[in-house]
Amino acid sequence: MIWIGDVLVSRGEGGVYNERMLKGARIWEPYRSKLAALYHVGNGVELGPAQRVLYLGAANGTTVSHVADYTEVVYAVEFAPRPMQDLIEVARRRRNVIPIMADATRPETYAPLVEAVDLVYQDVAQPDQAAIAIRNCVFLKPGGFLILMLKTRSVDVRKDPVAVFDETIRVLEAAGFTAQESVWLAPYHQDHAAIVCVKPGIPAE
Amino acid sequence: MQSYWFGDVSEGSCVPFTGDVNAIVSRVLSLSTQLDTFIPPDWQQAAACGACTDRADYLARLQAVCIAAAERSVREHYAGKDAELLQMVRTLDEMDEVINLLSERAADWYMVRHPAFSRKYRRTPAHILVRTMREKSRGALGRVAGEIEQLAETRTALAKEVSARANDVLPNTSALIGGLVAARLMAGAGGLLPLSRLPASAIQVLGARTALFAHLKTHTPSPKHGIIFQHRRVHNAPRDIRGRVARVLAGKLAIAARLDYFRGVAVPEFLEQAQARIDAAGKGDGA
Repeated sequence: MIWIGDVLVSRGEGGVYNERMLKGARIWEPYRSKLAALYHVGNGVELGPAQRVLYLGAANGTTVSHVADYTEVVYAVEFAPRPMQDLIEVARRRRNVIPIMADATRPETYAPLVEAVDLVYQDVAQPDQAAIAIRNCVFLKPGGFLILMLKTRSVDVRKDPVAVFDETIRVLEAAGFTAQESVWLAPYHQDHAAIVCVKPGIPAE
Repeated sequence: MQSYWFGDVSEGSCVPFTGDVNAIVSRVLSLSTQLDTFIPPDWQQAAACGACTDRADYLARLQAVCIAAAERSVREHYAGKDAELLQMVRTLDEMDEVINLLSERAADWYMVRHPAFSRKYRRTPAHILVRTMREKSRGALGRVAGEIEQLAETRTALAKEVSARANDVLPNTSALIGGLVAARLMAGAGGLLPLSRLPASAIQVLGARTALFAHLKTHTPSPKHGIIFQHRRVHNAPRDIRGRVARVLAGKLAIAARLDYFRGVAVPEFLEQAQARIDAAGKGDGA
């Protein structure tokens, strides 16, 4: 990751959402982006120019644009039409963003479009977040990474966030994943946690 | 066989799909994949298939197809008759809030200028008070009052449009509960399709979110009505049977919303029976 002092940045065409610039690089704000927050509070997954990413819950393409600055290609899945209009605009200006308007709970609808990826990033606030992530790992190469952004209040408002967190890790490990890192995103985001997993298997190279 | 956006691949041989971007988009939107036997596509396959020359070309072509597909999906989503009604209702409700907020503020301001003024013991309707403030105030206060009047006029016109549009988009629901409230229910659910999928119990308390969650969390009494309280048959009903009226009405509204979604026209037989049943509940029959 690129740091200028203690500021996380990405290198690419600016002006996507009026982001501030620093020495010609785009500042990637941890308060705005959960993935940026993960790099501030933990290790996350090092992004590189050879990586292919499946991004679920792409929203307006704000975080997507930063991920695209680092990686080879981002398959960006978003279901709602309003943010999709913005995401399409981002894709027009960035040739490595592939927008897909589809429901992330139904990967069979976009399977013919998505190649094998090195990283699945999931930021869909749904009650069955872990199950959605697992279903989408048909696209993930063996040895690839899964980053799950867990909004505990979307899973069950009445449950203790810590219980939801533990339960999610249990579900992921039962599906064969190895949890590599799990951190809360405080103080940047409340009741949000990030879980980084590795898919079992030997990477083909 | 694996079907990808660029063609069908089986046993190492590939049948390329020929057609322009539009044809590929139609193909992509109609394909459905068996996930348990699925193998992700890769660009070398596509190149062997003649669909692209190299990696950069593969991504460029795929992006063009995906942008076109997303644009088509967005267009189709907004083509639904309920999409614009949803925005109209939300605008209407926000205008109400703005008008109330501004009127309160202007009244406070007016009272500072007129220390002897009070609204107590007078039945002055809000719009008359605003008019008085406009006529009797110089400077910005007078102009603010004028703007409130303008907003109120626009609001009235918008409410008429909402009502008329709701009669068209939600004929059965509107017949039972009035166009304005029907449109608010639809907006509360997030659209006609989501409304048609709600159970009656959810329709009954739609718009009473705070009370519902307070009930679930701390066991306060459950809410008996949300948006549907705005209908006269609910708010005019005597207190002790109001919950019953709301429940029966919500039950019929759930059916009405499904008729609206799947048939799109008023169904007189249903409406007649439903009205009779709701009237009976209001009279205290049929618990």
